[in-house]
Amino acid sequence: MKGLLLKDLYVLTAQMRFFLVLILLFAVIPSYSMSGFAIIYAAMLPYTSIAYDERSKWDQLAGMMPYSIRQVVLSKFMLGYLCVAIATAVSLLSALVIPGGKASPASLLTAACVALTIMAVTLPFMLRFGVERGRMLFILVIVAAACSSMTAMEALNESGVALPQVLALGAPVLAAAANLISLPISFRAYARRSF
Amino acid sequence: MNNAIELSHVTKTYPTFTLQDLSLTLPTGCIMGLVGENGAGKSTTLRLIMNTITRDSGEITVLGQDNRSDAFRELKNDIGVVLDEAYFPEVLNPRQVGQVMAQTYTRWDEATYAGYVDRFALPWKQRFKDFSRGMKMKLAIAVALSHSPRLLLLDEATSGLDPIIRDEILESFSEFTRDESHSVLLSSHIVSDLEKICDYIAFLHRGRLVLCEEKDALLEGCAIVQCTRAQLSDLPEEAVLGIDQSPYGVRALVRRELVSPVFSPEKPTLEDIILFLAKGEEQR
Repeated sequence: MKGLLLKDLYVLTAQMRFFLVLILLFAVIPSYSMSGFAIIYAAMLPYTSIAYDERSKWDQLAGMMPYSIRQVVLSKFMLGYLCVAIATAVSLLSALVIPGGKASPASLLTAACVALTIMAVTLPFMLRFGVERGRMLFILVIVAAACSSMTAMEALNESGVALPQVLALGAPVLAAAANLISLPISFRAYARRSF
Repeated sequence: MNNAIELSHVTKTYPTFTLQDLSLTLPTGCIMGLVGENGAGKSTTLRLIMNTITRDSGEITVLGQDNRSDAFRELKNDIGVVLDEAYFPEVLNPRQVGQVMAQTYTRWDEATYAGYVDRFALPWKQRFKDFSRGMKMKLAIAVALSHSPRLLLLDEATSGLDPIIRDEILESFSEFTRDESHSVLLSSHIVSDLEKICDYIAFLHRGRLVLCEEKDALLEGCAIVQCTRAQLSDLPEEAVLGIDQSPYGVRALVRRELVSPVFSPEKPTLEDIILFLAKGEEQR
């Protein structure tokens, strides 16, 4: 799987240099919205990698190599984890070092959990149907997540529960559960795809 | 292990195409040419052998291993594959491709790879997307030969290349089979390439295996006879494998041993044999 990750890193650093710099720049700006954007954007880099694989028909070649379906799928998840971890780490460092920022470590970690949840929900569709069709679903997921989180926040506010505590506890649980469920679904989804 | 590849009654059906009841054996140490028109089922056969598409029925054994077994994934370290296009990410250069492959194949040999890249005069730092088709295929072949494979599967690896590059690439395949444990299955519709290097010829036509024979026996066993329409009836019916009629006369592909020397049978090329057999199948 190291070979697959290495290939993805070479491709992303060559094709997405401008956007990678942009992500790091946003992560460094000590503002929650900017850092949050950087972290969410980092979670989308596996989609970009899948799109480049489709363009070069890499999957056909990978099928001839000693890689299992699990390794191919896991490499995309690992790429997402790596990118989110780097964006979050840079954001955290910036929040701690640069004075005057509004982003707290807890809010940045919550953003990382939300990013990983979105990735876990959408990756199986990207792996099954390709990026072009999977992108439509990604938009639907973002809209649904935004609507449902706003409704949930309103409900929590009305019930008098402390929102930050709920988010701090709920987001990691949600991210872990989503990823644990998403992985086996993704293995099956990719196996059904023909190249 | 006597056979590198064994296919037994393999069938694969698509909505518009069926590979029917394919049985094929590639003995270890040999080069087999898989010839056929575009869409005859050559690429499907190679993908079935590598188990990247599921078959409807039949059995496939590669290097002594059932290709649906768990152990087959590890066995892919022993199989070098070149597809009809190279399919490497376009931004990678040969150095990066080598680094990725070093993490992919357990027996990756950096020195062998470097040797092939230099021998094929490939620029180490040039991106794959800036390569010509010939250079792309050479890189794919360099990769396929650099992880100590015992079996090479080549899908139209020489098509679209100029004769000088084709010759250079065919030479590298011949070198590969100097080791008696090495085998090659080479699909192509350039029959002259197959005639140069193959020990066995398999001819696929519209998803059916029309013939699979030792090349030399095939060339020696067949002959071409030129005659008039009236003389055609003098040929034994069982001797005639194919007929090509024109206003100027008749050319017939025949079994040499069944035809009298009076007809002055001429030696055919492999291309002649394939064309006659293809026409015969069309007329069925």
